[in-house]
Amino acid sequence: MSNTPQTIAAHEQILHFPKGQKPSLSPNEWLIWSGSQDEGGLPNLEHGKKKVLVPFSWWVQHYHEDDIQSKAKAGNIGVWFAADEDILKHADLIEQGKAVWPVVAAHFPIFRDGRSFSTAALLRDRFQWSGEIRAIGDVLIDQLLQGARVGFDSFALRPDQKTDVALKQFDLFSVTTQNSWRDKRATLSA
Amino acid sequence: MYKYDHIDQTLVDQRVAQFRDQVARRLDGSLAEEEFRPLRLQNGLYHQRHAYMLRVAIPYGLFNSKQLRTMALIAEKYDRGYGHFTTRQNIQYNWVTLEDTPDILAELAKVEMHAIQTSGNCIRNITSDAFAGVAGDEYVDPRPVCELLRQWSTLHPEFAHLPRKFKFAINGAKEDRTILLCHDVGIELKKNTNGELIADIYAGGGMGRTPILGALIKTDLPWQLLPSYLTALLRVYNRFGRRDNLYKARIKILVKALSPEEFARQVEGEWLHIKNGDDNFTQAEWDRVAKHFTKPAYKNLPKLSDEQIINAASETEKASFARWLERNVKSHQVPGYASVILSLKPHGSVAPGDATTAQMLAIADLADQYSFGELRATHEQNLVLADVEQSKLYALWQEAKKQKVALPNIGLLTDIIACPGGDFCSLANAKSLPIAKAIQERFDDLDYLFDLGDISLNISGCINSCGHHHVGNIGVLGVDKDGEEWYQITLGGEQGNDAAIGKVIGPSFYADEIPDVMTNIINTYVERRSHDESFIETYRRLGVVPFKEAAYKNAKKKEKAEVAGDAS
Ligand code: HEM
Ligand code: SF4
Repeated sequence: MSNTPQTIAAHEQILHFPKGQKPSLSPNEWLIWSGSQDEGGLPNLEHGKKKVLVPFSWWVQHYHEDDIQSKAKAGNIGVWFAADEDILKHADLIEQGKAVWPVVAAHFPIFRDGRSFSTAALLRDRFQWSGEIRAIGDVLIDQLLQGARVGFDSFALRPDQKTDVALKQFDLFSVTTQNSWRDKRATLSA
Repeated sequence: MYKYDHIDQTLVDQRVAQFRDQVARRLDGSLAEEEFRPLRLQNGLYHQRHAYMLRVAIPYGLFNSKQLRTMALIAEKYDRGYGHFTTRQNIQYNWVTLEDTPDILAELAKVEMHAIQTSGNCIRNITSDAFAGVAGDEYVDPRPVCELLRQWSTLHPEFAHLPRKFKFAINGAKEDRTILLCHDVGIELKKNTNGELIADIYAGGGMGRTPILGALIKTDLPWQLLPSYLTALLRVYNRFGRRDNLYKARIKILVKALSPEEFARQVEGEWLHIKNGDDNFTQAEWDRVAKHFTKPAYKNLPKLSDEQIINAASETEKASFARWLERNVKSHQVPGYASVILSLKPHGSVAPGDATTAQMLAIADLADQYSFGELRATHEQNLVLADVEQSKLYALWQEAKKQKVALPNIGLLTDIIACPGGDFCSLANAKSLPIAKAIQERFDDLDYLFDLGDISLNISGCINSCGHHHVGNIGVLGVDKDGEEWYQITLGGEQGNDAAIGKVIGPSFYADEIPDVMTNIINTYVERRSHDESFIETYRRLGVVPFKEAAYKNAKKKEKAEVAGDAS
């Protein structure tokens, strides 16, 4: 199981499904950077895509650097959480980060690894993060619905996934039997 | 029993449609097998040695005659005319095809059934006491809580891909009939001094290659708070349970690694943040669900003595009827009623827990005629008619005999729990069904079995322990040595309030040695027991040595090196 995304992943399109709205595809603005130093560190934001999601663990090391601060202030840096990141250990940094990150992401090293579901739930619940949470990594059609319920509202689908099938996943169920970030459990009176 | 409202029905119908689409994508190749696998497992579809196996949920073991007729018809139409009741109170079909599965699920949905979460790394179908609501020793009827948690756990998004499967058992009686301590989470319901329903939570029990009894991690939890507490518990497990090694991924390994105290502390820490949220159950939800578990329309009947009941039988039948009453009929909360166990363990003819279409149809009729149309599946793989009028026991016995489900062997040596083993299961190291058959044939004498009294004998075809061998007084485990099938014996396992994990007695045996080994072990008990002592009591008093010596007395082909036990 690899725990890191490709060095740089740049999806053409992102599936957006904001709470209370309809799912749709839109062009992607964000590079996902693995944090690998092999290609000289943080990708050059002047070329191609302007915005980059950096590993949260990298952010922890580098966020205080001037260059990073200025890029972050310009809204060009977000973070992604690895599946094994214990986000509760970094509550302070996440609280501060909320002010600057336009987007955060959580990574699925493989689709059947559900840790990032709890990460998203905690970001919504505990940190009251109201911005976008993007699912990245091995993101497949059949985990979209679960992801959407726990707190994800955008999805960088694995490139081989059919977007037309993906878009149909969100209205498969009209009822739920437990609360989640997106919807409360159905009750008889409702 | 619980009846679906439109929410439950809609959910199950939509789940069928979702799975139909997933199967279609598998069949047209757009979904790879590797990625389909967890999806089909979460809907109970395994791939076995010969074919697909579909495991259908029987939530907390409770079902009705209409549902049983559907189960029977599915066996007829899509399988080979039988179904297999499992140790987790579910039913399995061994010969279904992938293409048919959506249709089977659609048929099930019509009678408020499904296969949701009967497999896969998610919260599995919840098990409970097969005598819930009727047992004389019950503190609390666990069924409303079982049903509330069934709903809560169904398609729970955060816990859809846990490190490993997750099993809840729920008990509300003095005697534990659920093997509570061998579950990932065991929920023990009771009432506090104010009469309020509360729960004790045990975590980290399980069988498999590392058998371990669960540890008490929370006491006196008000029932309303179960969803938030369990969310906290599962969240800790989901985040920190091991995912690098399949064999170390169960919660028991995490609880052991952290220590139960530390695990409890982490759950508590998480819970602090969510315990006052709106996840918890409300009284309105309780009322909605609990109204389905009110008592059936019992008549006002006199309590009959055994003698009065037996008198219904003719002189020639009295002795065998009395036997059936002794083993297969259990006391009931309500005077004039009794619970009847139909044995799915005929000697030497079919796999433990199997029932044919014809039997299922006939048993459904018996349920209608004798027990308010309801049934229960036990984890010992038998069926229960819970509410039978004592005065009708004789008539019921006659009917049960016709269906070959009246063997009076409940709790006796031949009431064997066995997994499908090497005949069906691709994970098996060895067959279990022929071993069960050979033992049943060897001990076919009812007089002798009655004399031996309570003994549990459980057989698993591999260390996954689907046949609960760890908690059998006598456990038989199939092991593989150089491509040959061997069997390891454990002694001293027990379920119930004194739950214990059996101990391996030594090197393994060949299949054809097992009946003799059993005879030698049983003879030791017979020779050494003191008056009235059960097998397990004698074992506890004497320890393993005399049994072990007897077991190896004439082992002809003794295995050279000891087969490694449960070292990991
Ligand atoms: C295709 C057939 C089957 C397969 C592939 C299978 C697979 C497994 C595996 C891999 C485990 C161990 C999981 C772990 O330790 O994490 C397991 C455990 C278990 N299985 Fe099965 N099984 C099958 C059939 C059955 C049947 C028919 C029953 C009931 C008669 C059953 C009941 C159980 C139970 C009760 C456990 C729990 C043991 C524990 O708590 O660790 N299984 N099964
Ligand atoms: S114990 Fe082993 S052989 Fe038996 S059903 Fe389970 S996995 Fe298969």
